[in-house]
Amino acid sequence: MVAVRWTRALTTSGSPRGDAVLFLVAFISIFSLLTLEVSRCSALASPHFEGFDPDAEELDLDLAGETLVSATPAPPPTSLSRPSSPESHHCPPSAPPPPSDLWDEDEFEGIPPAAHPQDQRASAAAADDPALPTSTPSTAESPTPASFSLRSYTLEISCVTFLICFTLNYFIGKRRNEAIALAWASKFATMDSIFDKNFSILSTGDGKTPLLLKEGPNVFKFYASGRRFCQGMFATMELLSRHDLISLALNVVFRKKDTITFEVVMKEDCMDHVVLALARKKMAKAMHKEKKDLQRFASPMVTPPAGRKWVADELTVISELKEVAGDIITDVVLDQVFGDKVFEKFGKWFVLLHFSDLHPGSRKKNLIFKFVLPKDNNMSDMTRLVALIPYFIDLIGRYKLSSHAHSKTEAARAKAAQEAYKELQNARQEALQKKKAERKKMMEEVEAKLTAETLRKKEEKERARQLKKPGPKVKMLRR
Amino acid sequence: MKETTSSSVSDPRQPSTAKPYVPPTLSPQDLPIDYAGFIAVVVGVVGVTLRYKICSWLAIIFCAQSLANMKNFENDFKQLSMAFMFGVMGLVTIYLGPRPAKKG
Repeated sequence: MVAVRWTRALTTSGSPRGDAVLFLVAFISIFSLLTLEVSRCSALASPHFEGFDPDAEELDLDLAGETLVSATPAPPPTSLSRPSSPESHHCPPSAPPPPSDLWDEDEFEGIPPAAHPQDQRASAAAADDPALPTSTPSTAESPTPASFSLRSYTLEISCVTFLICFTLNYFIGKRRNEAIALAWASKFATMDSIFDKNFSILSTGDGKTPLLLKEGPNVFKFYASGRRFCQGMFATMELLSRHDLISLALNVVFRKKDTITFEVVMKEDCMDHVVLALARKKMAKAMHKEKKDLQRFASPMVTPPAGRKWVADELTVISELKEVAGDIITDVVLDQVFGDKVFEKFGKWFVLLHFSDLHPGSRKKNLIFKFVLPKDNNMSDMTRLVALIPYFIDLIGRYKLSSHAHSKTEAARAKAAQEAYKELQNARQEALQKKKAERKKMMEEVEAKLTAETLRKKEEKERARQLKKPGPKVKMLRR
Repeated sequence: MKETTSSSVSDPRQPSTAKPYVPPTLSPQDLPIDYAGFIAVVVGVVGVTLRYKICSWLAIIFCAQSLANMKNFENDFKQLSMAFMFGVMGLVTIYLGPRPAKKG
């Protein structure tokens, strides 16, 4: 995390000069390597072929003299290798290089490679005579890259095929995600759908822009506005990264689902003090830890309110006050979605519900719903869940706490507000003190500079006087 | 059911209060971390310095993944181009460089 932030800080906040320098360095290094390689290849190309033919002729061991005669028209580098071959039969190669697996080819760049296969073959011949005919095919292969075995390129082939599959999967996955998003939109966002009946403008409101805004291959947004009690509703669809092959592979291990999150921003005067969350037990615990408003003001409800049917056992309610929770989770809701029996059927599409008027961030009063998206041909399965949204907007828009509850919540919030104010004060004081210290430093530096400058000026004046003094004397002498 | 209660009172829509869409602004630090780009840079540098073929190829693959997931073009492009540069440089030095590098 720190390393990424560091690199990000380097690349983004750093000057463009740094990036330009990096690019320059990269280009120069690539260019120099290419020129180096081209020059090497051209230098080494000729001896390969020149060395090949005389080596083949060399195999006629019967007439050493004839080979010598036939070799004379060949260019000088190969003739150097001739005298060494008869000698090599008697003793190990007279040439300096040690056995082939110890020396490095690059150390002998000046010497044509004809000498090396010579010594190799010579040592093989000294060891085993019948091996000579078989050694020629091997030496014939080593100078020229004539053989091409696919096995030696497994890594390259597999990487290139992976890249091709990745590209294909990108387009296929992108289309699949778009199909799911469109299926949802056609069910819930088009004409005469639930959102059209509840909100006056969908998306930007013009007929020109499409309903769904695409933020990436797997993130789609939907906006609606113009309803009583609320300012607007933001819906974000986060689908699986089907366009990314590596993410798909990871998904086999970490099972994720397509989710849709609705955030309804309530009007300022339409929401009373409500802090409530509803989710499965594990998720509720995580929410209680992460969300500051839940952590500070609310606590999980262990026992349901007396004499009432309540949510299914899998679910946990986190609320500031029991009374508020009881008022908001009405019987209607329990019958439709959250009750014991109904939840078995509809529960798999529900993730969480979070109502708060103290949400951290700029938009304080909002209602958050998170559901799992069903498959694109079963979109109607979540109709009841989507219908919760306008129901709760109306319910919370009209809900007023009892005076008793109101006073309790008011006290808690006042406390929190005071603490926040104190923290702000402290932060401001610290900032002021820092500024003062900085100003002091600046002043001191300026003073030091001034004194240094005055010293310099004095020294210059003195030097000038000293130079001027002998001047007139010289002139007088000349005269 | 629920829709009838809302529509029986009145049409819930209020065109007068409708607000146009304003995309929420995100600072660069709030964006989710680009793991693919980071891994691409690290692996690319390892491939260039230690001359491992597989590292340079992995750098190219992770660059492709980062490119596929890129949402905000301006912010992530620099990291991606740096990683791609290292990957290509590594491959060039391995395949077109001095002979001791493994051929195939």
